[in-house]
Amino acid sequence: MTSGATPSFTIDVGSASIAAALIAPLDGRRRLLASAAAPVAVGAEALLRHLVNRVSAADADTLPHPAAWPDWPRVECRTVPPPRVALAGVSQRALEPLEREFTREGWRVTASVTADRAQAYDAALAIRDPELDLLVVGAPDGTARDAIAQLLAVVGAVASQRPGLPVVLSGGGATAVPGVAPDRTLRGHGPADTVAVSRQAIPGRLAGREAFVRSVASLAQILDLRVEGVDVGHEAATRLMASPDGVLRRIVLADGALVPSAALEDQRLLDAIARWSPLPDDAYVVRDRLRNLRIAPWRDATSDGARLRLAAARAALERLQDAWGDDGRDHAGGVQWPFTDRHGHVPTTAPDLLVASGGAFAAPPGPAVALALVDTLRRPGAVVLAHDHARVLGPIGMLTDEDERRRFLAEIVDAALLPLGSAIVAPGLRAARRGTVRVTVHGVTTTLPLTAGAVQVVDLPPGVSATVELESPDSLFVGARARRVSFEVTGGLGGLLVDTREIPLRLPDRAERRRAYLDAWQRPLWTNAEP
Amino acid sequence: MILPDPLDRIPPRLALTHQPIVRVALRPGDRPLVANGDRVEPGQPIIERLRHAQVGEHGLHGHAMPAPGTTFAEGASVAGSGRRALRFDGAGEVVCTLPGGRVRAVVSRHLATVESPVAGTVTALDATALSLRADGTGIVAAIAVGEPACGPLVVAVEGPSAELRAQRIDVRHAGSILVAGSRVDVESLTRARAMGVRGVIVGGVIGTDVHALRASTERQEASVHASPPFALVVLDGYGKRPIPPDAWESLTEAAGQTVGIATTPAMVLLPPDAVASRTDGSRVRVVSGPFLGRTGRVLEMIGLRRLSGGVYQESARVALDPLAPPGANDVVELPIADLERHG
Repeated sequence: MTSGATPSFTIDVGSASIAAALIAPLDGRRRLLASAAAPVAVGAEALLRHLVNRVSAADADTLPHPAAWPDWPRVECRTVPPPRVALAGVSQRALEPLEREFTREGWRVTASVTADRAQAYDAALAIRDPELDLLVVGAPDGTARDAIAQLLAVVGAVASQRPGLPVVLSGGGATAVPGVAPDRTLRGHGPADTVAVSRQAIPGRLAGREAFVRSVASLAQILDLRVEGVDVGHEAATRLMASPDGVLRRIVLADGALVPSAALEDQRLLDAIARWSPLPDDAYVVRDRLRNLRIAPWRDATSDGARLRLAAARAALERLQDAWGDDGRDHAGGVQWPFTDRHGHVPTTAPDLLVASGGAFAAPPGPAVALALVDTLRRPGAVVLAHDHARVLGPIGMLTDEDERRRFLAEIVDAALLPLGSAIVAPGLRAARRGTVRVTVHGVTTTLPLTAGAVQVVDLPPGVSATVELESPDSLFVGARARRVSFEVTGGLGGLLVDTREIPLRLPDRAERRRAYLDAWQRPLWTNAEP
Repeated sequence: MILPDPLDRIPPRLALTHQPIVRVALRPGDRPLVANGDRVEPGQPIIERLRHAQVGEHGLHGHAMPAPGTTFAEGASVAGSGRRALRFDGAGEVVCTLPGGRVRAVVSRHLATVESPVAGTVTALDATALSLRADGTGIVAAIAVGEPACGPLVVAVEGPSAELRAQRIDVRHAGSILVAGSRVDVESLTRARAMGVRGVIVGGVIGTDVHALRASTERQEASVHASPPFALVVLDGYGKRPIPPDAWESLTEAAGQTVGIATTPAMVLLPPDAVASRTDGSRVRVVSGPFLGRTGRVLEMIGLRRLSGGVYQESARVALDPLAPPGANDVVELPIADLERHG
């Protein structure tokens, strides 16, 4: 399907936008020749024809038979709105592990209800929701028989009126739901197993997001690096950490969407997004612009609209970071990481490579995207930042053959990952104290001051490597504590960001002061972006 | 070389849907008054709804268990007969029978009816929702708040960019659906509802006003007496936004006829003979930025352009229609993401 002999397309169909890339054989290997994105209503055909035309106009010999493009192979990935699940259990406490697990795996939990009379109306309303995809009944082992019998009577009576709704029984406390046919009842044990079983009830609904995870894992393997992937889209966000050994941790979060659907009615959520905006507009104007970003996310992408979009992206990344469970704080001399790889190694610093993907990062300029990532996914140490600008990682993840996927990625990775730059996050320098940054490129050393609580931008073009040495009167925290530390970094559109701000980043509560800080941090990266 | 349609990468406005399916969600205790396949007319009661519904329980006392979902009228027997029959204090619906032999039901003594917003046919009816296929055409909207409603259409403003002021709404508009131009504020919405207006169609709305309207709707539902349905439908988004030209044409043509507002999906429902597409398919409308609401024609696609903010966007050169004809066209370069094809 994706043999190197003929050109092929990758197509990433999201909930709001569609991205396509044209990949063709050149000099014996596949190359990414062109990519474009458009609102999903435009459709794939118009986009693919545009790509073929663009390449043919640039060099008529690159594509020998451009008119045959409708027959070229396509690798397509499709992401859809998160599936909706209602949870029913004997108590709210018993439902918490299930709710946590479903939320982390990309489901939208619409209700958590019990059999209590006080909740009977809400339970019936939740199970009758026409948009509901799944009902999960939590009946863990050891639960009192009376309580389970009451729960099953209530849930079964309502579920029996919805013949198409699949039901998952979680735990060994019950064997069947009365009134629900056995052929639409699935069984799960612990919360993790229940979520895994629940995927069978919605075949393919999460495939697009899983494809991104597979691609990043393959990327970690072929680059032999620890790679973190983050994909923020219109309906959900995905984040994962992968090493050459495989996926270490992952999360898919419906609330991680650029502007979650709940924000249309939840003013607090909008205000939480607006906290990241450096724009001095009135609060109600910003809220309405954010609501419009939810309704039509492709519009208003230039000028202030681009800044507001990145404010929304920062808030989405912040929600993703909160759900990830690691606040990045220095606990007793070392960051507490909740995972290890299969060799028991604990990654204590930033990953080697952080790849951003998704519609949220499609429009804003690369340097500004780099800072947004550094502002929110903060880990001590150095990291290389890259952007999956053609959104090929999702489609490539749809290739089921691991070897084919790795070959495909290996051939186009240089063009597929746009270098945004490198970042060194090194908090620890006390206020009003100064250190030194020495950047050595091709044997020439430039010395700059290292200031506390700031982010400095060092010009380092894409493809250029440098040795960076930080020297400070105070111990800098870069995974370990040191007063003098050096890193090998590579350049990108945003150059090198040297960041001595705290982890996590705390923004002032007063709006004017907060906007002044945000503007001061972002201005160097946006000023260069003005036409 | 393959020659593309120069407009095919400009997103089309998904404006008109022929014979759309609209849905009315059923709440616990709701009793459908129509059956699958029935014809319905605008304003016809289709659902009997419980107001201030509460959950009640009664012992079965040896009677046969009623099936979940069984609806009952006030005073009617739910199980058994005669003096020992099981009766609830109000109309409602059986939710379940508990293991101890008690029947749990959703009940209320206050009933209201939900009216069909459109002429059409019932295509699906289950425990979750009632679906109708409308006879006419639907104008897809961005937001809808309130309940399905219908009434004669009154165009209450001079043009799609005008705003409806509260003082222009009076008792003559009772029972009608008003076309309110580019924006409506909460004062106008409150007055419209007080005057018995059934719905307001508008291009844009301020988010805080939607918030206030939702709160007002909840208060109305909590009151003792049921008030007529009221709906707000917003065609284009938040803020001040002119009504899109194709929608404006359709609405002005339908003036005086009975139209409906559906909330799921958000839509204005027009009668079959009201819609005429007069646009030629090559025209565009600006949907964002300083030229918001202006219409025009694409002269050429000019490829990627570096725009304010350092953003690269596919752009087009557009001849905007004069603001006050006759006049000269403004020729501007705009990102195609800020354009919308219509027609």
